[in-house]
Parts: sequence; C-alpha cells; structure tokens
Amino acid sequence: MNYQGYVIAAYAIFMLAILWDWLAPKLQIARARREAKLRARRDATRKGEVHS
Amino acid sequence: MHPLVRWFHQLGSPPYFDRFAARWAPWCHGIGAVAMAIALWLALFRVPADYQQGDAFRILYVHVPMAWMSMAVYLGMAIYAAIALVWRIKLAEILAMACAPIGALYTAVTLATGSIWGKPMWGTWWDWDPRLTTELLLLFLYLGVIGLYAAIEDRRQAARAAGFLAVVGVVLLPIIKFSVTWWNSLHQGSTISLTGPSHMDASMQLPLWLMVIGIHAWFVGALLARARADNLRREIGKAWIAETA
Repeated sequence: MNYQGYVIAAYAIFMLAILWDWLAPKLQIARARREAKLRARRDATRKGEVHS
Repeated sequence: MHPLVRWFHQLGSPPYFDRFAARWAPWCHGIGAVAMAIALWLALFRVPADYQQGDAFRILYVHVPMAWMSMAVYLGMAIYAAIALVWRIKLAEILAMACAPIGALYTAVTLATGSIWGKPMWGTWWDWDPRLTTELLLLFLYLGVIGLYAAIEDRRQAARAAGFLAVVGVVLLPIIKFSVTWWNSLHQGSTISLTGPSHMDASMQLPLWLMVIGIHAWFVGALLARARADNLRREIGKAWIAETA
C-alpha cells in the first residue's frame, strides 16, 4: 500500500473520534446518575434529621 | 388523539425520553458500528487503488461521510433550535444542544482527514481555500454554540441564546456546499451525487454508501445518548430520577 502512513493516520483519527463519541455521553450519564444518587441520599438524611 | 401525536407528547416527558433513549441508543450504535466495520473493511482491503491517487484515495471513505455529516448535523441542530425558539419545547432544546458537540467532532475529523489527504495530494497540510476556510468557520460556529450554552447558568436561557446563534449560522451551509462552484477552488468539486451522475467508479461506491448509512445510524445513537445525559443533568433532584438512580 502506498501512502500507508497517511491512510493509517486518517483512519486512526476517525476511529478515535468515533470511540470518543460513544464514550463521552456514557461518562456524562454515569456522572449525572451519581449526582442524583448523592442528592437523593442527602435529601433522605435531611428528612430523617427533621423527623427525629 | 392520533397515536403518533400522543407518542410525540409522551416523548416530551423527561422520564419517558430517558427510557426511550436508553432503549434505542445502543441499537443505533450497534447498527452503525456493524455498517461502518463492513465499510472500513471493504474500503481498506477490497476496493482497488485509484489510478492517480493510489491508496491515498482510501482516506475519502472517512473524510467524505464526515464532511456530509458535519453539515447535516448543523442543519438538524438549527431545525431543533428553531422549533425550540418558536414553540418552547424543552426536548427540542436538549436535542439541538446535543447536536453541537457531535457536529463539532465530525467537523474536526473532516478537517483533520482532509489535511492528511491534502499533504500527499496537494503538497500542503492546509490552504486558505474557500471550502477549507468555510468548513473551519463551521467548526468555530459549533464551538460558539457549545461555549454559549456552557456560559449561561440558566439552562433554558442558555439553550435559547445558543439556539439563536445556531439558527443564524445556518447561512454558512449553502456557502460551504457551493464554495467549490462559486470560487476557483483548490478543493475538487463533488465526485458523487445522490441526484446526478457520479464521477466515481461503481466498484468504489459501495463502501462509501455503507459508511454513510453507518455514520447516520451512529449519529442517532450519539444524539440520543448525549440528549439523555443533558436531560438527566437538568432533572437532578426530581423524584423520578431519584427512583431510577
């Protein structure tokens, strides 16, 4: 294959971009769910303190 | 109420959209990944080398679909943003803002792969050619939309301001598309066309169309996943999200 380095570089960039496109929202969703869980726990603790 | 209209109304409900996106995003990603994998295999190992460009032409199979998508995603973002501005539909805001990072990524890949192809073919990594320059402006527009959305604290106000920029920026799309026709450009004119005759041999076309189908399916998956993430961020503190978290 001629121009092999150029072809490999272009395909590598494409693959990395596709991988990031898949990974980024997964990380965002995980972070949002973690935050939601923490807030729910905080709210439950606060409610418990008020009742006691 | 017509079932389609009812479904559309249901989709506007954050918990319903969350379930919808969680269910369909993996399917779209899966279909996209399979189609792109087959297209890449054909493009790298089955299609003959070009008689003038040699194997460098294989870069076209990632560059061209990404270039098309960079403009199509912008158009989609502008349509969602216009719907959000006129009818104040929250889901349209979320979808419009989810388009921006995906479109920016595709535009960056278009510029990078085009530059890599340009070095052996044109003898330069970059030229201030109308097509390249307008594509670079498209990347800046995407970054402007992302920046504006991130800069304003109130999510709805931020989406409206960024959406307005997205709608105004749509004038750039016909300039990018016709830049190779309007100006004496280093960038070649369109090689393949959906409506007119193509200047590409039929034996070389299959991987390209497979890649186009694959990247469209992949984009829908990415859009649903990013919109789901934004939807969750906006809804933190609500009862439904606490139940599912």
